Amino acid sequence: MKRTLFICTLAVLLVGLSAGAQSADFSRYVALGDSLTAGFSSGGLVQTFQQGSYPALLAHQAGTPDFEQPLVSEPGIPVLLTLQALLPNPVIMAPDVAPGSPINAEYPAPYNNLGVPGANLYDLIHTTGNIMNLLAGNQDNVMHDLILRDGQHTALEQAIGLQPTFVTMWIGNNDILGAAVYGTPVEGVTMTPVADFQSMYQTALGALATNTSADIVVVTLPDVAAIPFVTTVKPYITLPDGSHVPLIGSNGPLPEDAYVTLNGAALIAQGYGLPPGIPGANGEPLPEDMQVVNGVPVPGVVLRQEEISIIRDRTAAFNNIIRDTAAAMGAKVFDINDLFGSIVRGDFGVLGGITLNADFLTGGIFSYDGVHPQAVGYGLVAMSLIDFINQTYGTSIPQVNMFQILCPGGDCAGPAETQATHAVFSAQAAEQVQRIFAPRLANAPMARRATGAHRAVRSDHVLKVQKGAHRVQ
Amino acid sequence: MSGMNRKQLVAAAAVLLLVPTLSWGAGFALFEHGNKAMAMGGAFTAVANDPSAVYWNAAGLAFQSDKGIQFMAGATFIDASQDFTGESPYPGAGYTASQKSQIFFPPHAYLVYPINDTMTLGVGVLTPFGLGTWWEENFAGRFISKRVDLKLYDFTPTLAIKVSNDVAVAVGIDYTIGQIDLTKGIGVINPYTQRLADVGQVHMFTDGASNTAFGWNASIFAKLGSGFSAGVMYRSQIDMDLDGYGSFTQYPTGYADFDAALGAMVPFGQKTPLKTKIKFPDYLSVGLAWQNAKWTVSGQVGFMGWSSFQNLPINFTEHPELSTTVEEGYKDTTQYRLGVEYRVNPTWSLRAGALHDETPQPAASMSPLLGDGTRKGYSAGVGWTNGKISVDVGDLYLVFDKRSTGGMSFDGYEGTYDTSANLFGVTFGVRF
Repeated sequence: MKRTLFICTLAVLLVGLSAGAQSADFSRYVALGDSLTAGFSSGGLVQTFQQGSYPALLAHQAGTPDFEQPLVSEPGIPVLLTLQALLPNPVIMAPDVAPGSPINAEYPAPYNNLGVPGANLYDLIHTTGNIMNLLAGNQDNVMHDLILRDGQHTALEQAIGLQPTFVTMWIGNNDILGAAVYGTPVEGVTMTPVADFQSMYQTALGALATNTSADIVVVTLPDVAAIPFVTTVKPYITLPDGSHVPLIGSNGPLPEDAYVTLNGAALIAQGYGLPPGIPGANGEPLPEDMQVVNGVPVPGVVLRQEEISIIRDRTAAFNNIIRDTAAAMGAKVFDINDLFGSIVRGDFGVLGGITLNADFLTGGIFSYDGVHPQAVGYGLVAMSLIDFINQTYGTSIPQVNMFQILCPGGDCAGPAETQATHAVFSAQAAEQVQRIFAPRLANAPMARRATGAHRAVRSDHVLKVQKGAHRVQ
Repeated sequence: MSGMNRKQLVAAAAVLLLVPTLSWGAGFALFEHGNKAMAMGGAFTAVANDPSAVYWNAAGLAFQSDKGIQFMAGATFIDASQDFTGESPYPGAGYTASQKSQIFFPPHAYLVYPINDTMTLGVGVLTPFGLGTWWEENFAGRFISKRVDLKLYDFTPTLAIKVSNDVAVAVGIDYTIGQIDLTKGIGVINPYTQRLADVGQVHMFTDGASNTAFGWNASIFAKLGSGFSAGVMYRSQIDMDLDGYGSFTQYPTGYADFDAALGAMVPFGQKTPLKTKIKFPDYLSVGLAWQNAKWTVSGQVGFMGWSSFQNLPINFTEHPELSTTVEEGYKDTTQYRLGVEYRVNPTWSLRAGALHDETPQPAASMSPLLGDGTRKGYSAGVGWTNGKISVDVGDLYLVFDKRSTGGMSFDGYEGTYDTSANLFGVTFGVRF
């Protein structure tokens, strides 16, 4: 009897122990990805949002010591877009001030957050950056320069160099996002060919799985055709009697199921696309498709359903590759579309009685660029990811505190100065967003890599510590 | 209360009956309609030997005809406290908030008039349902509810008929008046600051006594011999449609065009009509008691049809876009009550009781409006009478299960509610 009792007690203890133990190790956590991983918001990178990036929130909740990020001082790089006025039409533009500067550039090891805004899968594997190039005032490779710094090692290499215990990788958004931002899916230019994506994804994940012993979570790609950048502007003008008059695109009148991107808002404000007889019409159609003028891509601003289908099909193909590759290499797949889908469908629901949805400006989730979340949106990503990790690894990472994110310091009533009125999503704002997602015109991303000349001026200090920090494979 | 003399108590009780009252209860049913019954844990359906039988088992009135015309009135002072501890993701671990201290005093009054040897008429005024919650200023759940007062007054005439020397039946009408008063904040993300902003509040209320509904009740009381008695009481569900108003107030954010945009969507500064509907649950109570010259022992099982309360629709008839439905999803519940009375002498009696009352509320609908838990209650009381006048004093202490929303909150407001309540009451009776 006593013996049975002892065994039972032991069994209970063991069950208790195994239930309580974490089976994932966050002591060295590294995040790979793009702008969504970097905490990019409202067209720029700035520490207030970087500190609320989903990797930073996960690291904080999981107790990762010293989770380092490439922090940028106010007002950000590039200068963050701000809302200048809401009525009669929202005005979004970046103030004409000097950008912020890197404030953690001398950290003597690769950053834990290696998300590089604008990076696609190719960049993750092949592109480097040199902080001295950025500090010398060159704007040709800003984000890689800022984040990768040493001019030698790619994000993937730096991640491996850190020998992480846990890795999240959310890459591939920019392998399709260009098609949405530039209003035109173009194989190999605004979207990556499927076969290329597959081989590169296998390379990237294979390198991580082979060269680290980390638990790896990969993240699927959201439906980029459902972001406010695409869904906000209606393809028609509503007359006082409630009837719709279609806007005119370069391929003819827009059907009701077409989308006009936020880039089109600035053009409409100038009279483009307005049907004859509407005040302010300038007789010019909205440019539907991307054009290259003097080597510079000029976005199309219309996505018709055929284009939306192409984008969705391509996203689905990428996601299948992500799932298959992860399954083959033992990585776990966090499907962002469970969360993203509920947000864009409008059935995410409420937090503390506050409704959150994907509406531009008023929904509380997306930032002024219409593409990236703001702090609340990144908080939701972290929340959802932590749920996934806890379920997948049996961990009990405490959830993020969304009240602190919605209402920092518990004070959320604070009024500030009233602003002036100008134009709609300004041409300058549109340009800023376009730059981030610039398509690979020559299909030669290597062109953006730091040149030898730039490398020559790098500081020996940075070089030395970077070398020391890497355990080069 | 102990400092008051009897005259003051009588005066206080008389005033209370006239003052519009607030009330508080979990699962918002109230069972404190007489302080003898309350002191016995509410196990009164098979006892039913004072005028509060109008609520607990009106058939019992038929066996009170020897007492002549009776008037009985009193109130129960409810002193409740509730603390909330937040859980993530909203409002987050470590967050705490408390309800403001309030004392409620649902009154009760009865007149019992024996028509003849077999028929007795009883009339009662009581508050079978009531809810009052009021949270501290600026607490994180203010966009769900800041303050609510809900009450259902019941005016119930009933006729008890002795069908034999041992069995009586009764039927009654419940004419009820409902009142609801709910204030909550309006919170949206300010597009300028990209953080939460208090942009206003809405006060939703019904007017005076204009919202009424009927219900009915029926009961049986039987003397079984050897000192045993049994009772069965049923009170019907009451479906009440309430008309009222929503009054919207804007809080300027400092961003004039944002305020203007909100002003275009919400009728700030106006009183706009609203309609709501509450289905108050039915109640079946079955009891068995035994008594001799000195002792009464009573046990009782109650069933409440709380599944009637599935949601609380709030429809702004002129602004349907602002209408909402609060999901409730209540479940039917069972309650158990035990009571004992010891008659020390013809003047003094001592009483005690205990109860267990299941919460009808699923964890998901626990909210600042009402965060309920299964309750255990322990009661004690004293009765005094000189044959003409009686005074019953009782105290009931309720302990609620500390209960978490468990990540399931419909409002996205997660946390644990810790509640306790003390109910102290005095009831006066006179025989004519």
